[in-house]
Amino acid sequence: MSDLSIASRVAVQDAGAARVLALPTGIRDVVSFRGSFHTGPDLGANDDVVQDLVTDVLDKGTRHRDRFEIAEALEGRGARLSFYSDGLRAGFAGRCLRDDLDDVLALLAEQLREPAMDDDEIDKARRKTIASVRRATESTGAMASGAFSRRLYGPAHPNHVLSPEDEMATLEAITPEAVRRYHAEHFGSDDLLVSFVGDVDPEPLATRVREALGAWPAHGLTATFVPSALAPEAARETVPMTDKQNLDVRLGHALPITRADDAFLPLFAGVFALGGNFSGRLMQTVRDEQGLTYGVSSRMGGVAVEHDMDVRVAISLSQENLDRGIEATRAVVDEWASGGITEEELERTQATLIGQHAVALATTGGVAARLLVNAERGFDLSYLDRYVDRVGALTAPEVSAHIQRFVDPERFVQVVAGSVVR
Amino acid sequence: MHEITDHPAFAFDRAEGGVEAYRHTANGLTVLLAPDPSGEAAPPVAAFQVTYRVGSRNEGAGLTGATHLLEHLMFKGTDRFNREKGTSVFQTLQSIGGSINATTWYDRTNYYAVLPEAYLPLAVEVEADRMRGARVSDEDLASERTVVLNELDRGENEAFRKLLHAVFASAFHAHPYGHPVIGWRSDVETVTASGLRHFYDTYYWPSRATASVAGRFDRRAVLDLLDEHFGAIPRGPETAPEAEPLADIVDSVTREPEQRGERRTSVRMAGELGSVLLGYKAPPGLSETSDALDVLVQVMTAGKSSRLFRRLTDRGLTTSAFAYYPRLRDPGLFLLYGNLAADVEHAEVEAELKAALAEIASGGITEAEMERARRQVIADEAYGRDGPHAIVAQLNEAIAVGDWTLFTRYRERIEAVRAEDVQAAAAAIASDDRLTVGHYLPDPS
Repeated sequence: MSDLSIASRVAVQDAGAARVLALPTGIRDVVSFRGSFHTGPDLGANDDVVQDLVTDVLDKGTRHRDRFEIAEALEGRGARLSFYSDGLRAGFAGRCLRDDLDDVLALLAEQLREPAMDDDEIDKARRKTIASVRRATESTGAMASGAFSRRLYGPAHPNHVLSPEDEMATLEAITPEAVRRYHAEHFGSDDLLVSFVGDVDPEPLATRVREALGAWPAHGLTATFVPSALAPEAARETVPMTDKQNLDVRLGHALPITRADDAFLPLFAGVFALGGNFSGRLMQTVRDEQGLTYGVSSRMGGVAVEHDMDVRVAISLSQENLDRGIEATRAVVDEWASGGITEEELERTQATLIGQHAVALATTGGVAARLLVNAERGFDLSYLDRYVDRVGALTAPEVSAHIQRFVDPERFVQVVAGSVVR
Repeated sequence: MHEITDHPAFAFDRAEGGVEAYRHTANGLTVLLAPDPSGEAAPPVAAFQVTYRVGSRNEGAGLTGATHLLEHLMFKGTDRFNREKGTSVFQTLQSIGGSINATTWYDRTNYYAVLPEAYLPLAVEVEADRMRGARVSDEDLASERTVVLNELDRGENEAFRKLLHAVFASAFHAHPYGHPVIGWRSDVETVTASGLRHFYDTYYWPSRATASVAGRFDRRAVLDLLDEHFGAIPRGPETAPEAEPLADIVDSVTREPEQRGERRTSVRMAGELGSVLLGYKAPPGLSETSDALDVLVQVMTAGKSSRLFRRLTDRGLTTSAFAYYPRLRDPGLFLLYGNLAADVEHAEVEAELKAALAEIASGGITEAEMERARRQVIADEAYGRDGPHAIVAQLNEAIAVGDWTLFTRYRERIEAVRAEDVQAAAAAIASDDRLTVGHYLPDPS
């Protein structure tokens, strides 16, 4: 068994409605876990906003304990447990000491299945979220990314980000009853996956999960959303903001592929070579050589097996370097898109991605997250090991051909957020 | 679980809490080894870090931000590793999958790489090479200066960052903690390469450095590597007899005069919702009350059981509130912060934050709070050993404060804290005469 092989060490067990993936490691006392389930939202009806509120109030009391008793049960043990909403799925993440795992699992199940969802707590969560949206309007990065997503994706696409105004209006209109109803109708054990990594014993663990979540009913709903991006349309947009001497810029366009397509990995490697880290062309040229920015990067955005994604370049620029920085970035991207990547760049990218795969396995939380995402995508466990071989088998002509086929800088949407002086 | 490795170039110092300490007999380089106790079962990953005992604390007027700018130039290259050859530090270490970076803080600068174990020799070679071989040239500074100015602008975009800088600047009139780690903009704009080289030539020597290794590795092989690459570097300028007093000079900083009266500052900039930051003068990180102040932070901040959550956020006065006590080498600040909810006045949140601290100073904490804080620290201690990067990162902060055993003894130190110690620590800092109040006043226009 190779040091990097983890598939053969993961125990996969059915625990009633839940599928459990458990990987014992050498760490003592600590267990990290991640879990998620399908919620079947209607994204065109802004269900994702309601779903966010549901996950916000899961720790604000159950039918058996109030919010402070829940906090005490976790914090008295130094345990961590949080809930999140991610468009098509909702989930949870936690970490605790081995001896506390049974109690934490029981509490997790209680919070998921029997939340109190009092009017008062829902209203507090709603007001807090509205305040967060208002605060986010002070962030050039958030404003640039939001505007960029709205150019690429329609309202019913999972990668669409509501404008602050629309999100606040939606939040204002949500009633406590609607939040409770959404929980009752959309939270269940549909494709319920849980990964555990660390000081765990898989057999008794599966029994505990079965006791806690094995009988959680499924709702059987199918998500309603538009999987395709909007028709491509090059555009330039400025989001004017006061007192923001640093501007955030986003460049890119949607890609008509999913994470499950064969085209993903060669494109991913190509985009990584462009700007995946400091050694990529963008940082080497625009930062290291020209000194125009603190950070410029490229990546695949909104990656999922269910829908389209995008290629995006992010740059931060001081006001005096705005035009030069965008121009320099576009020049690097143009050359990359037309000429592809070199053999040397591919070799470096392959070594980096394979090395990163190993480094990501060094923490229990990192491995638990990887196991969960892999299972959510419907990939079998062996993909985690095959990934290294597949990356290693890529060729520079193959990667370059994918870049040339899928990426067209002429069609890039460009968004600038900050204090623009003209 | 500790092993003492006999090595001709290193003197064993001590071993505790999973960390084995050595000192290079020729140049004084301190080495901390934290091997993964699961041995061969551990993931094949290691972290390598070099911490220099220099930070913004060592900067004077006109040179603020110099240690941070120098940290950037350390990536610009040496004769051996540089971009022109395609062998820059990033190209060399990222191309093998390493997660690498460097950070500068008040009391220290660190360089680290987390990478597949097989490449550990490469990381050691790179760090040893740039300890004395960095170019620190005018040409490199020219392009990196604008990079750092952009980094500075990014920070200045954030109201919280501006407020933090304003509170520290008001709280410290004389001590260098009063200026931001990244420096004041005009200094970043004007500092010269020779100004940076002063810091490099004064502080970047084995005798002021600690090399930390965590994760899976062979002890003997690592000591061999460290000796091979660092062993020939002289210990530092203070080895010259005529320079004997230099050690005192390079570490001396202006002591902050006693604060006698509340100070107030405010930051007005475009934004939506305000915030309040309180900075109480607090003792240095190795003082007797520091552990009690850490417990105080837990009691005030940790989770929904905490005093600040119950008193402010749960009542709808703030959207978040926290306490923070950065353990620094010299006397620093104990901070209380609240993000205002909509339609809440600054004065109300300020009063509640003050009252939360005063309540503990006068009435103490409950045994239940004490026990919860202990349990949280015990769990955090276990989590803090989850992965080699977490370990070297914590060692880094302990080294910065002045004693790496702060990491290994942390749990027992916290377990020794009693509820009355926490009350006494709160009472010792909770004086309005040693308080700096900061308000962020958002301007909707």
